[in-house]
Amino acid sequence: MSDVSATMDFRRRDAADKLRGRTRYTVDRYLPGMLHAAVLRAGVPSGRIVRLDTSRAARMPGVRAIVTAADAPGMMGIGIADHPLFARDVIRYDGEPLAAVAAGTLAQAQAALAAIDVEIEPLPAVITMADALASDAPLVHPNWRDYEVLLEGGARKGNVAWEATVVRGNVDAAFARADVEIIESSFRVGRQNHVAFEPRAVVASYEDGRFHIETSTQVPWGIRNATARLLGVPPSQVRVTVPPVGGGFGLKFDLAIEPFAALLARASGRPVRLVNSREEEMLTCLFRENADVRIRSAVTRQGDIVGREAVVLMDCGAYGGEQIFLTTMTAHTLGGNYRLGSVRLVSRALYTNTAPNGAFRCCNGVYNTFALERHTDEIAARIGMDPLLFRRRNVLGDKDLGATGQVFEADVLSPMLERMDTLRDAAAPRPARTDGRLYGRATTVGTWFVFVGPSAATVNMNADGTATLVTSGVEIGSGSMMQGLPQIVASTVGIPPESVVVRAADTDAAGYDVGVGGGRTTVSLGAASLSAAQEVRAKLLKVASEMIEAAPEDLVMRHGRVEIAGAPGSGRTVAEVATYAQAKHGPVSGTGAFTGTGVPAMPGCVAGHFIDAIDMPVFAVHDCEVAVDPETGHVEVLNYRVVQDVGRALNPRAIHGQIQGGVVQGLGYALHEEVTMGSNGRVCQSGFETYRVPLALDVVPVEISLYEGAPSMGPLGTKGAGEVPILNVGAAIACAVANATGKRIQELPLTPPRVLELLLDRKRDLTLPHIAEAWADNLVRPHKTPQGNA
Amino acid sequence: MITGFPVQAAPAETRNATSSVYIAPTLEAALDALSEYGAAGSAFAGGTWIMRSPIRHEPLRAHYVAIGKIAELGAVRIGSDVVEIGSAVTHATLAAALADLPEFGVLAAAAARSANPAIRAMATIGGNLATLDFAAADCVPALLCLDAEIEVAGRDGRERMKLEHFLEIRPTLAPGRLVTQIVVPRSERKTAHVRLPLRKAGDYPVAIVSLSASVDAAGRVRAARIAVGSVEPVARRWERLEAALIGRRLDAEGAARTATELANEFVGRDGVDAPAWYRVSVLPGLVRRAAAAALGA
Amino acid sequence: MGLSLTVNGDRLASAADPTTPLVDILREELHLTGAKPVCREGFCGACMVLIDGKPTPSCLMPAALADGCEIHTVEGLTTHGQLNRIQSALEASDAVQCGMCFPGMVVSLTHLLTTRPDATREDIRAALTGNICRCTGYERIVDATLLALATK
Repeated sequence: MSDVSATMDFRRRDAADKLRGRTRYTVDRYLPGMLHAAVLRAGVPSGRIVRLDTSRAARMPGVRAIVTAADAPGMMGIGIADHPLFARDVIRYDGEPLAAVAAGTLAQAQAALAAIDVEIEPLPAVITMADALASDAPLVHPNWRDYEVLLEGGARKGNVAWEATVVRGNVDAAFARADVEIIESSFRVGRQNHVAFEPRAVVASYEDGRFHIETSTQVPWGIRNATARLLGVPPSQVRVTVPPVGGGFGLKFDLAIEPFAALLARASGRPVRLVNSREEEMLTCLFRENADVRIRSAVTRQGDIVGREAVVLMDCGAYGGEQIFLTTMTAHTLGGNYRLGSVRLVSRALYTNTAPNGAFRCCNGVYNTFALERHTDEIAARIGMDPLLFRRRNVLGDKDLGATGQVFEADVLSPMLERMDTLRDAAAPRPARTDGRLYGRATTVGTWFVFVGPSAATVNMNADGTATLVTSGVEIGSGSMMQGLPQIVASTVGIPPESVVVRAADTDAAGYDVGVGGGRTTVSLGAASLSAAQEVRAKLLKVASEMIEAAPEDLVMRHGRVEIAGAPGSGRTVAEVATYAQAKHGPVSGTGAFTGTGVPAMPGCVAGHFIDAIDMPVFAVHDCEVAVDPETGHVEVLNYRVVQDVGRALNPRAIHGQIQGGVVQGLGYALHEEVTMGSNGRVCQSGFETYRVPLALDVVPVEISLYEGAPSMGPLGTKGAGEVPILNVGAAIACAVANATGKRIQELPLTPPRVLELLLDRKRDLTLPHIAEAWADNLVRPHKTPQGNA
Repeated sequence: MITGFPVQAAPAETRNATSSVYIAPTLEAALDALSEYGAAGSAFAGGTWIMRSPIRHEPLRAHYVAIGKIAELGAVRIGSDVVEIGSAVTHATLAAALADLPEFGVLAAAAARSANPAIRAMATIGGNLATLDFAAADCVPALLCLDAEIEVAGRDGRERMKLEHFLEIRPTLAPGRLVTQIVVPRSERKTAHVRLPLRKAGDYPVAIVSLSASVDAAGRVRAARIAVGSVEPVARRWERLEAALIGRRLDAEGAARTATELANEFVGRDGVDAPAWYRVSVLPGLVRRAAAAALGA
Repeated sequence: MGLSLTVNGDRLASAADPTTPLVDILREELHLTGAKPVCREGFCGACMVLIDGKPTPSCLMPAALADGCEIHTVEGLTTHGQLNRIQSALEASDAVQCGMCFPGMVVSLTHLLTTRPDATREDIRAALTGNICRCTGYERIVDATLLALATK
């Protein structure tokens, strides 16, 4: 009944105004009396501030306020509070903020920046992770011991900002077995820029003793709390509202420039607009982190993975940020996909004197899946087994243990692989290949998860038969707030989804929410919304039963009516019932709340983890065929197929749009989007000329099959569908290129120069000397294994 | 001690000083203005390079002389012996004007595939030639292989020179002097323009081979001009390869083999987009493609 | 010296510096915020407007040279608020995601529909090489364009 009616290709309501250019994103908001702000940023990767004098700048024309480190006493971070708003005495990356100015025009603000007198004594810098781990490396945070620890359990030391470990079973014994092959692989990936078309942007005001921050963010509550922390004010003094967001992809899952505008608004008494330039976005975006991965497996000749160990180095840049949390994910990404007899993994977030990294769609999973799937192909080649057969034999199934010992439910990956076989077999055979290019194909699997967590929702039933949904959810483009959520509420109370008004996020109006990201909008906000709508439904049914004189359980809500089941057109309209209820009992509303239940890990398996196990696994199978030009190194993707576990598809067409877009973003990561770091610690790709995202001619239509029916705790059986499409693109392309060329693919992106380098044998095998040979020698603190788990 | 400086580009609306733009109605007026402004002034054609100065952290000039409204600079004149191309002709206009002249295939292709459609409708051939730091300009190697001559004018008169010579003097071209037209001789020839961007489209090429050859009745090469762009800071002809092709049948594989032997004469430029070795490594393959395309043309 | 711009049929005066990019005048003086200055390099197309009928990245067009031209922004492409053919097709195809690139996409494609009625899939993709979309992976935009071309 209501359940079925939730499925539809409901169009998004924000499309028409976006197409007319009428939508006002944060960058489009201009308030009367508004000042323009600019941020002075350091031009060295490491240094000591000898002098910072703003007195000359303060006298410049139009300048209304200047703020510096003295105005922001707090420190923020995840797991560990290591990050001040402005560099205080010490500069840790090129681009680190030193001061912020608000003036009548942007030109005046920029001119004032140039009038701030700064002297900096340069200090030695660590630019690479190898630099950071060198025995005599300067410390990015010499006083790391003094920081407030926000979550206990992670090992830390010097430039190791955080270390998380997993140990299950006896890996040493597995590797010592006589009947195994030991396969070792090393991988390296660079950073990826989100290139959200709307840069980080904010308009802040200070009204009635409180900050009002309008900002382009995915995490209104995160901005509220982090801003308060940095400014040293109670969180209740910060209100965050969010206009439509012009692209997020994880970039806006963390605090950015909001506190600068807030401080300047308070200091000047005027609204303040601050928008990052594209260059600031290119150089200081919270990139998907660069990473180095070494993975070793002990595999029997029959194809059982009896032991696996890995070291993952994640560059967090100058401050810990998301990478601290993401060290947790290695267990479920690199440690995912396959049944493992025993396993030990360490992920280490390392400080370097580079711009901080952050979250990006399938954070950690994208490169770990690349590493895992390439390693899997190397295993299959070593033991002489077809790579697809090896995968079928080993993918996680019902009752299998994950790396942290959690028990997986149901066979999902196996039938998904079969579905992919069907898709592949149904494709038209390609014509003969006589153009001299090298052809290859690959099928890869991936494990991801929905990042569940607290969400709140209120549904107000209006007397006109519409409902207003109030949450802290943000529409970042994925459509969840425009499609999935109104569909869930509408189907529950029997009204068309057009009749559900969705309130834009406002921390003064809606309860706490973790934020839009991690595929959680439809799941967590959806579950809270469903629960709120169910309360409304129950209240309406009770009132309707008085009006219609029928038992509530005999009533259904559909097509805008409360009807007696089996008697279409009977009963009353929802509007009539709501009007009656409002008059008799007061306005009808419902509230809902949700959070993940927390699946346990095996005791003692994990250390330094933010979650023990994954509440809601999501799986994906990707398949592609490529052609490689041996003269130029160009890789052309000939076709691309996705079978994705979606739990249940509420809006299949919208999900298809997410998959096409996510795969193309993954193609950018796999083939085009390169970030390199100069020896000065500055990103070399400062604009769209050198940072190459896929263009319309670079993409292929993705053939898509939605796999429904896997177990899900999500509302109506849903899982998040927008995040996961990027997960195994790098893996699939890399495996296909390796298959085509016979070369060992160890790095992404596969730009033409990098591929040609491999084809011409100009490139030596990747070695990672900064990863110690023995797994345990990579740990700053031994993983304590309790008895019974050795 | 280092003085801190902002890393962000000053957005385009935040310039310290005001620039003037004079829209010249005639060439004479443009040359007068350029002469008066001297080093403080510059011609402004399509603007696709100048308007990105803030992105490159370069200051704008104090004065610009817009030449887009000058009729004689905006025309393509197809004569019996030569084609004269006004310097303010856009890539799109040029590509359309040459579409039916197979002997200009190389130039039409250069003009029709550079950058992206909207940029092609703005960017001019004169701008392509006059911009010092734009190593990846498509039209420069195309014109080199067509033996083009460049007309440069100043208030005191006009002079015409080979494109090769123009490229040599370009860095020291006196203020007040303006490229006014490009003169390309007509002749029977087979041509091709092969550009290698890193994505399929919309990029500046990391290497370009432009080829023009005339062949006799037996298919032997009588004359050949091959130019290489984007590999070195300035496009130039590949004269040893040209010489090696003379008298032989034009065949793609043979040309590529010779190119492989001779490619080490190029010293590639390292860029954020591609390393030096890559630009040189791909040259033989581009030569083969160019020869094959020319034969097919 | 003042500038006189004709934008969406209205004659408007501006006192902006002559080399000010048109996109900044449109947004900050005329409050036409449809055009987005995303890259300011002419690569992304999000600031595309029609100048005398030609799609032009307004980040690269100095105000002085826009003086006297007919400028149409995305806001001027609807008649009486009704979506035009390509806007309708994009809406019906559920092509829009974050939407930041669509004002520019709509300008480029509105032009394509009038000038290239026989455009193929490849023609459309080639025509969009100066319009970057970070969300959609393009295919649905191309499909919608084909749909619009088929809807005479």
